Amino acid sequence: MLKRISLFACAGTLVLGLAVGCGGGEKPSEGGESTTTTTSGAEGAKKFKVGVSVPAADHGWTGGALYWATEATKKYPDIEWTIETADTPSDQINDLDTLATKGVDALVILATESAPLTPKAKELKERGIFIVNVDRGFTEPVADVFLAGDNKAFGKMSAEYMVEKLGGKGNILILRGIPSTVDTDRYDTAMEVFKANPGIKVLDSQPGMWNKDTSYKVIQSMLVKHPQVDAIWSSDDDMSEGAEQALKEAGRDKNIWMLGGGGKKEIVKRIMDGDPMYPALVTYPPSMTAQAVDKCVELLKNGKKVDEKEILIKLDIVNKDNAKDFYFPNSVY
Amino acid sequence: MKGFLSKYGVLVAFLVLCIISAAWKPDLFLKPENLRNIINQNVPVGILAIGMTFVIIKGGIDLSVGSMIAFVGGLGLTLLNRQMANGTPELTAAMIAAGAMIGLGGLAGFVQGLIVAYGRVTPFVTTLIGMLAFRSMTLALANGGEVRSSSTEVWPAWGSDGIHIPWIKIADGRMDLVITYAIIAFFVVIGIASFILNKTRYGRYVIAVGANERAARYSAIPVERIKILTYTISGIAVGIGAIFLSGRMNSVASGSQGLFFELDAIAAVVIGGTSLRGGYGRIWGTFVGVLLLGVINNMLIFAGVGSHWQGVVKGMVILLAVLLQRERRDV
Repeated sequence: MLKRISLFACAGTLVLGLAVGCGGGEKPSEGGESTTTTTSGAEGAKKFKVGVSVPAADHGWTGGALYWATEATKKYPDIEWTIETADTPSDQINDLDTLATKGVDALVILATESAPLTPKAKELKERGIFIVNVDRGFTEPVADVFLAGDNKAFGKMSAEYMVEKLGGKGNILILRGIPSTVDTDRYDTAMEVFKANPGIKVLDSQPGMWNKDTSYKVIQSMLVKHPQVDAIWSSDDDMSEGAEQALKEAGRDKNIWMLGGGGKKEIVKRIMDGDPMYPALVTYPPSMTAQAVDKCVELLKNGKKVDEKEILIKLDIVNKDNAKDFYFPNSVY
Repeated sequence: MKGFLSKYGVLVAFLVLCIISAAWKPDLFLKPENLRNIINQNVPVGILAIGMTFVIIKGGIDLSVGSMIAFVGGLGLTLLNRQMANGTPELTAAMIAAGAMIGLGGLAGFVQGLIVAYGRVTPFVTTLIGMLAFRSMTLALANGGEVRSSSTEVWPAWGSDGIHIPWIKIADGRMDLVITYAIIAFFVVIGIASFILNKTRYGRYVIAVGANERAARYSAIPVERIKILTYTISGIAVGIGAIFLSGRMNSVASGSQGLFFELDAIAAVVIGGTSLRGGYGRIWGTFVGVLLLGVINNMLIFAGVGSHWQGVVKGMVILLAVLLQRERRDV
């Protein structure tokens, strides 16, 4: 008897858990979450089906990318949207296959990694699916439209800003991200700039994995190792926040500043308020996914007349003067 | 000698690692601040590992702890914010949130325990489902972003403040070294866990079930209840860990908080000499295992080992620690 009641309790809790899980409009599915929004379209008009495939929200930025994509799709209820998130390139390839089977007319893709996704994108294009690629480009010009995020520019701009602010002289620590093309592009170009300035000494570089807690641990050990640090090149705002906690606990939060990246609202706010720890950041706006969704809809509706095959997403240095233009208090990132 | 190594191998490995570290970088490794950091950084994983020890001794595994620490942390902070918005004083709200985290963790563990014991789903599958579901619910709760606590004094202080040691200074003498509440809580948890495992009937039953479930059943041990309780203990440990992890950052990042903590916790338990086949294990071993992993991470940074090679070094040290004690099964 007790056994049966317990089983019911299990099942009940499980159902409850699922209900909570789906409260945000997300259903667990293999390898990620998917959301399907269906609303009846204009009468007689062909109802387009569009798939959006983005990396899973494993840190702040990808969370933001998913948020902006989802928000953008809500503007077009006349289109049947399917949003898929993937943990790995192989997951994403499976997602793309599923979407193709579903019969989508177009795909908006933010690749988890460029190279592994290229053959699949090529195959889908040959099947006649219109492809809008955002942020990370395919290794061959497969996409119909490419909204390019420029990680090399990110590395260059951020490093040049640091060199200038330090007056060409100083000791810096580097926090890297999850090993990937994005991270390598940023790091390599930044290092070129630092190496060209002999006054700048890169004391140490370790991955903070775009993760707050990891960055906290890494910076804590680095601070013990290096008594003289002027600034931290953290390529991501989440990592800056983790590093900040380590700086505070070591009592060194007054004389070390950080240059983050991404454009997280809390950090933008601190820049706006003139916090000396955060003089600036380089944007790498996750809202580029919304831009891609808009572009995709526009082109589908005008009969796929592509005027610009490649659109470069502008990166900006956010400082105290312009921070208010980059502050979106309602965004999740 | 062989008997000694199989029993205390992990301690030997740990001491050797410490001696090497101290000899190699004496000015860095032995700094009181660094030693404090090593323990403090690893408190959340450490507390999870202590809870995990019970599950593994019972012959199970709990893969859900990394996701669960984000889930109960996120729910707890949501509750904290709601309480504060309703005008509850910060301290009271923080206490409610902390209680809720421990309670929710216990409940989540209890439910998984029920599924394992009465649903007869293997622990691996049950907690794998938990791992997916808890992460997914956390993402839904925070819409893929963060839950930030609106407590500015109490909650962050619980996460990073503690007892000041006025005679040990850090930051060029400007600050006292702080033995954090997290560290104190860690030792309390270790004490309680050791007591439960070694001095109570329940502890002996856990070992008995892990060693031979059928024999335990024939000896009239309430196997189901013992099993459910191990997952509940693991869940409570997650709740305690969640307080300090969410306190340290004063927020819960839905996608990344506690990511892969289950692997570190399992590694620490295994390094500590607890048998993955169940029936044998020890709390102090897990504690040493946690510290061993912490020292490795610390030394990898001091030595400036390139990030791509760190896994190899870490793997080798773990292998060494496990090899030292592999003969124990036939006791």
